[in-house]
Amino acid sequence: MGAVSLASAEDQIATPPISRSRGITRRQALAAAVATGVGVGVVRLLGGSMQQIGAPHRATTTDWISPLGGESARVMQLLRRTTFGYTQPQLEAALSDGYSKTVDRLLETKPAEPPALAAATTPGGRFAINLAQQWWIDHMLATPTPFAERMTLFLHGHFTSDYRKVADDSFIYWQNLTWRRMALTNLRSILISVTTDPAMLRYLDLATSTGQSPNENYSRELMELFTMGAGNFTEVDVRESAKALAGWQLPQPDTYATVVVDKANNVTRRLPVYSSQKAGVFNARRAYKGSVTYLGKTGQLDTQGVIDQILAQPATAALIAGKVAQHFVTARPATTYVNGLADTFRRSKYDMKTLMRAVLTSPEFTADQSYRSLVKSPTEFMVHTARALGVSPMSNISKLIAGAGSGMGQSLFDPPDVNGWPNNESWISSNTVVERVNFVTGALAQTKGKLPPSSDVIHKQLDGVLSPQTAGLLNQAADERGRWFIALASPEFQLK
Amino acid sequence: MNKELGINQLKRRDFLKAGLVFGAGASGLAAGYAAVPDAFARAVYAAKKEGLANDNILVMIQLAGGNDGLRTLVPLADPALHDLRPKLAGPMVSQALPLNNQYGLNHNLGGIKGLWDKGKVAIVQGVGYPNPTFSHFESIRIWETGDPTRRQVDGWLGRTLATSYDSNGHPLTGCACGATDAPGALRDLQATLTVIQNQKTFGFTGGTEVEAAVGALYKGTPGIYGALFDTAIATATETMATLRTSASSYQPMADYSDKVKLVYSSKNQLAAALQLAAELIVTGTGVKLLHVTLGGFDTHYTELNRHDDLMGYMDSAVSAFYQDLAAHNMASKVLIATWSEFGRRPKENASGGTDHGAAAPLLLIGDPVQGGLYGAEPSLTTLDSTGNMKYAVDFRSVYQEILSGHLGADAGKILGANFDQVPFLKAPVAV
Repeated sequence: MGAVSLASAEDQIATPPISRSRGITRRQALAAAVATGVGVGVVRLLGGSMQQIGAPHRATTTDWISPLGGESARVMQLLRRTTFGYTQPQLEAALSDGYSKTVDRLLETKPAEPPALAAATTPGGRFAINLAQQWWIDHMLATPTPFAERMTLFLHGHFTSDYRKVADDSFIYWQNLTWRRMALTNLRSILISVTTDPAMLRYLDLATSTGQSPNENYSRELMELFTMGAGNFTEVDVRESAKALAGWQLPQPDTYATVVVDKANNVTRRLPVYSSQKAGVFNARRAYKGSVTYLGKTGQLDTQGVIDQILAQPATAALIAGKVAQHFVTARPATTYVNGLADTFRRSKYDMKTLMRAVLTSPEFTADQSYRSLVKSPTEFMVHTARALGVSPMSNISKLIAGAGSGMGQSLFDPPDVNGWPNNESWISSNTVVERVNFVTGALAQTKGKLPPSSDVIHKQLDGVLSPQTAGLLNQAADERGRWFIALASPEFQLK
Repeated sequence: MNKELGINQLKRRDFLKAGLVFGAGASGLAAGYAAVPDAFARAVYAAKKEGLANDNILVMIQLAGGNDGLRTLVPLADPALHDLRPKLAGPMVSQALPLNNQYGLNHNLGGIKGLWDKGKVAIVQGVGYPNPTFSHFESIRIWETGDPTRRQVDGWLGRTLATSYDSNGHPLTGCACGATDAPGALRDLQATLTVIQNQKTFGFTGGTEVEAAVGALYKGTPGIYGALFDTAIATATETMATLRTSASSYQPMADYSDKVKLVYSSKNQLAAALQLAAELIVTGTGVKLLHVTLGGFDTHYTELNRHDDLMGYMDSAVSAFYQDLAAHNMASKVLIATWSEFGRRPKENASGGTDHGAAAPLLLIGDPVQGGLYGAEPSLTTLDSTGNMKYAVDFRSVYQEILSGHLGADAGKILGANFDQVPFLKAPVAV
């Protein structure tokens, strides 16, 4: 019922019932079940899928048939939306734990730190950005705590920074480490981390803002994009908080190195070297000395004071909750749903774990209407593909993924603008769909050896819920490689 | 690909249904203007009415981030500029390419200055709208939809596609070149358009076999994204077929180069995007409304070199584009227009840059143009309460002239009202 029920009642138009069979036939499902082999998890999985597939599928709308009445399908949807895909053992573990214990595990397991990026100590952070991109993708593929990576990607889009303007890839790397560590803490400390993050200090110009001549860039986006949203503050607030926030500077380097930056002309530059990650530093001499009137409060405000004023606005919790709901639950979350999440978030003193638990355990998350209501971002789609194929993390796949993202509209550390990435329908254009299909071709070409059985992807990734076209083409495919291509290039696999 | 599998077969009911689904929640979203997908529908060169049966073409160049108007068209003799911009004003005035004794072009706009000398550049000064917003995204949306009240969801070019051209399976009528997703200006529920990031890589790896399989796979896809996916694939395969033909019959007659060194590199390949636009135009693919973007104009810091670099990049790409069109005898048909969400604050900040501003000049370039200065430069001494220049010309007045004078479209219907035209066209189309 997904499509129609997302529109408000009066907007619904009468569509003549179309009698069309959905999914693959019971006989095909049984054949696939036999081919899959039997383990405890698999039996549970097929139990869930079989109920789904076994029922007569005569749809009266042109919608996917939701299998979310079954626990196994709910668990698989949970994993699709909170991880970067799953391997067979991970799926079996989650199915054996069940939905609610899996939510606990996602939220309560301490995020695994990625291995250090060797290039990060390069003077001036002058190393190729694809090293950082591949480093992160490798971690997405290998990590035992993929939820932390999904949250890091979400925050990278929300509190975004662009390596081009930051012009120091070490800062970008540090920001990634910070975002991962702060993801499930509380918004108050998150906003301090964001404000004093060296990459952010560069990206939104706070590092060059002074009390005497404030730069409004960070002040504006902190309110408009990061917390309250447009329409909830005035231009006066922008100017006043620009004054109050002024004074932050980049951290002092440990040392400098003289580096040849232009070999042909023998040009050298002294570039900063940091032996370890550092945050921005506050220089009181650059700060604003007077009093400001900000969001209704007058007095001397420091950065903490600005953030506390922002947290006192109801719009802040609503914006964060709405964005989380849109990212993890449904493209068009209902206002009442978002308001409920925002209330929970505020009452918890802005605890992100509480918010995420409320989201993942809400009936909306597993409602039939939520089934395939989100489009995988390019990074999710590509890493899901690699994991479904069982590609080894250290192979060339991360290089392929890092390079292929831009054609699909998502190159890591390189968002289109300060609003981060768009989502859902914005991922679909004539250019991006072609690039997605081409990525499948490229990824399959990297799997030289034996592929996992294609019935795996149909049941464990796609819940056995297929369009007649996809089912038909799977039947016609000449071999396993062809079936894998159809499954991964299908519209079903683009959704979550 | 079999035409019958294509978007020609998308049923009107599917559009309506999808339209309702996507339209319903639009206002509730942070990025409301992103709610309209690019794909539903299709458009076409076959005009819906007599007046549109001309073969004029529009190319919009978005200067994303807020282009500094004062550094594009430089006031040469206003002492207030030096007070407001003690660091930035000196070099920009002394190096400017004078157009008269009052104004000069940025010194890196030499190619465009050459076109100005031939009467092919119109500059409309002081373009803006009432109660300006200083949010990039709100202001972009206002320019894209042509609606400062922010109620309109469809783009002004998308509405032009939908209202003025037949929907008969010509997805190249509206095309975004050098982008991965559809610009808001071209979006409309009833308009299909094409997005091509890079022509050289636009195709299926594996060729026609893959193309056929994918065409069959994306057909009658269920769910709220079904029509979008299906139309995107159908549009892509039709466009690939068109490009196969056009690429073989097009020879660039100018030097397009994206090998520019920028202080803060823009992620767009403007020259390649304009070269693709030229190919689509000169090979008669039926393109009508084209959109390209150059980013990097949000110059809050060290603006001096960054903005000069961007001006130089734009100048070389636009000059090559014009030269190419002229060599193919197509220059008389093509109007090139720049737009940007806002200008920049007249007063510079401590970072050697400028914050978000308001009114700014627009450039209109090409043979259809009656060269010269239009509008009025806002005063640098009587700024508004935010320290910004007050606008003299509503941006919809520029749209009005483009729509009715160049395309022959019903501007009043598209914009919701008729606006005073800025008469920058040599021979406006009779509507």
